[in-house]
Amino acid sequence: MTFLRKLALTTALVAGLSAPVAAEDVKFGLLQDFTAVYTFVTGQYNQGQQDYLALANAEGLLGEGNSVTAIVRDTGNQPQRGIEAYNRAKEEGAILFDFLSTPVSAAILDQAQADKNIVITPAHGRGDASDGTVFPYVFPMLPTYWAQAANLIEHMKNNGGLEGKKIAIVHIDSPFGREPGPILEALSEQEGFEFQAFPYASPGNEQSAAWSEVRRYRPDYVLIWGAGGGQAVSVRTAIQNGIAPEQIHSVIWLAETDAANVGPQMKGVKRFEATAAGTDLPIIQRIQEKVIAAGKGSGDQANVGNSYYNLGVATMAVAVEAARLGMEGGQPLTGETLKAGFEKISGFDAEGLMPAVTYTAEDHQGGGAGRVSEWDGEKWVPVSEWHAAYPELIRQVIEESAAKYKEGN
Amino acid sequence: MFYRLSGTYHTSYQADRKLWKIPTDRWLVIALLVLALLAPLFVSPLYLGSYVLPWVIWSAAALSLTLLMGLAGQLHFGFAAVMAIGAYASIHLVRAGVPFELALLLSGLISAVIGAIFGGAALRVKGLYLVMATLAMQYLVDWVVVNVPAISGGAHATLRTPAVSFLFLPIESLAARYWLALGWAVLLTVFFMNVKRTSFGRALVAIRDKDFAAAVIGVDPFKTKLMAFFTSSFMGGVTGAILAFCFYRAVTPEQFGFNVSIQLVAMVLVGGLGSVIGSWLGAGFVLLAPIFLTNLVSGLAASGWVPVSQNFLSHLPLMIYGAMIIGFLLLEPLGLAKIYDNIRKYFLVWPFRHARS
Repeated sequence: MTFLRKLALTTALVAGLSAPVAAEDVKFGLLQDFTAVYTFVTGQYNQGQQDYLALANAEGLLGEGNSVTAIVRDTGNQPQRGIEAYNRAKEEGAILFDFLSTPVSAAILDQAQADKNIVITPAHGRGDASDGTVFPYVFPMLPTYWAQAANLIEHMKNNGGLEGKKIAIVHIDSPFGREPGPILEALSEQEGFEFQAFPYASPGNEQSAAWSEVRRYRPDYVLIWGAGGGQAVSVRTAIQNGIAPEQIHSVIWLAETDAANVGPQMKGVKRFEATAAGTDLPIIQRIQEKVIAAGKGSGDQANVGNSYYNLGVATMAVAVEAARLGMEGGQPLTGETLKAGFEKISGFDAEGLMPAVTYTAEDHQGGGAGRVSEWDGEKWVPVSEWHAAYPELIRQVIEESAAKYKEGN
Repeated sequence: MFYRLSGTYHTSYQADRKLWKIPTDRWLVIALLVLALLAPLFVSPLYLGSYVLPWVIWSAAALSLTLLMGLAGQLHFGFAAVMAIGAYASIHLVRAGVPFELALLLSGLISAVIGAIFGGAALRVKGLYLVMATLAMQYLVDWVVVNVPAISGGAHATLRTPAVSFLFLPIESLAARYWLALGWAVLLTVFFMNVKRTSFGRALVAIRDKDFAAAVIGVDPFKTKLMAFFTSSFMGGVTGAILAFCFYRAVTPEQFGFNVSIQLVAMVLVGGLGSVIGSWLGAGFVLLAPIFLTNLVSGLAASGWVPVSQNFLSHLPLMIYGAMIIGFLLLEPLGLAKIYDNIRKYFLVWPFRHARS
């Protein structure tokens, strides 16, 4: 036991010695899965986060003498490792956490709420955490899967109509894959379409059984709901089964890597996006100028401007903005003041990187706006405007689910 | 020198049958037990909650599995599913109003019954084929948990454990949760050491070594194999419930996935098949080595000693960890328990060279 403590103490000491000294050093715990399930996104996403924090420090966004530091650790998607990483980062002073892993977030949610530490769950975790009255310290921050499904359905409605149409939802057989279910259920009555779910087994390297069923169903639109390697397999198998790329609509997890894996036939496939892709954005330009060119980038330069990289940038842009607002008036930044800072954010769009988001004490999703973009063979081109689809329905689903959580689920 | 033997005589059968015949061993065990009991007083919450507590619980899980794999020789690659049954059963029982103490026992029984049903495959198949059968159990249980909302708890598939108390001790504070887990792990340890000395334990060993030879000398393979699965699954089920209530406190299907089963098998193998101390050492190694390595490498990186990308940084601990497993198994194929045994034997007769054991 003493040996273990000594070893850990030395580790902590080594880590502690190198931390920069500043008037106030805000610490964010980016304790993510770099080695197991979420590897398809974590590398680029975390690189974007670290690069943005470097930009924030270079530009002094948090005010004179203040800085922000990321504590980055791998959790391997294992809850018990996440708990250790959380407890350690908490001792080191971190007040905001991003686990980018649904099981790890689920294991820590209650503890973080009790500790009054912020957990951001962009594009993962519980959608009902958008209800700030039930989850005061959790911020899903970006559109939940429910909002994403609604946005895609509305895009179908505006481009071809929904009355009497058939939608096939082809999803990974997991709680995540089932998320759009309730939204489709509610909207099918309202808009008069029919839908059928076609699950495939995790991790989705082989989906031909599901897609031959889809072909028999003859859908007008196809919704694919998976992540990682399974997404490219979905698109490829769909096209093999005679489904036109234009019919395919994807959840947020479809990026440049998947397009490269699918090849030229990918042209026309649509996806939901919460942040703009590409380098043609002021914030990304400044990162290239002040961070990448200065040699302070945290990873491969080729990733800058990728969908997941920009997603990471957006999460940290919002978090740093919240920290800035939370420190206004000179009070020290804690979980509570950071939460207040988040709830002061109004109409923030990270200079066009994302739709304008506003967080309130009730709404921790920030409005749920997003848009649909299409792969044109080289890049993602937006085909709709930033907007929130069916916000009342989404809010209703969020509140119903949050009420169940309150009862103990 | 250490582990002194001189002056230690076993003059009665009872003395000769003691678990720890050498006084040093006995004192070591007592000292460790006292240290473990007092841990909440001198171990910081970070280390108690994130290192010692999970270690104790996973040791109990490894002990449950090693009863089946080490003593009875029946391979099981779906043990996380057994624990999942225990965890979900206990939560639903407590929610239905069953007292926690009873719910623990019942969840163990439910796991035991389901585990024994799947164990029925062992009556027909052995070795790799049994591995396949138990893998099927893992995937079937996973599938049922994910696809039946009544079990998994609806949309987000997360079930939070209700507040409970065990024999009037509220299982809320970290210390209380730790003591309950420790109590269960110690109970399993004592049980395991004693089961080896019973006729049931000897029957298990006979089945492991050659089941038809065992049948010839009068051990009923049908009964013994099913009993092995039943006992081991009971232990695993209660451990799953302890894991849910004392450590995670919110249960999701991913906590009991296939990779957890593999981790458990690794604990048993790296520790040493069928060994008590091996289960503790193996669980500690498989559970904590990746965490220590991750923190060590991150610490070194932060001080600029290993200037590499985040991606490589995250995989480096895994490489070291893998090399360590191979290293340990090359050095001593019988596992960490055997390494400890070698050290102990060396000191048994130190400064002389040869040990009689």
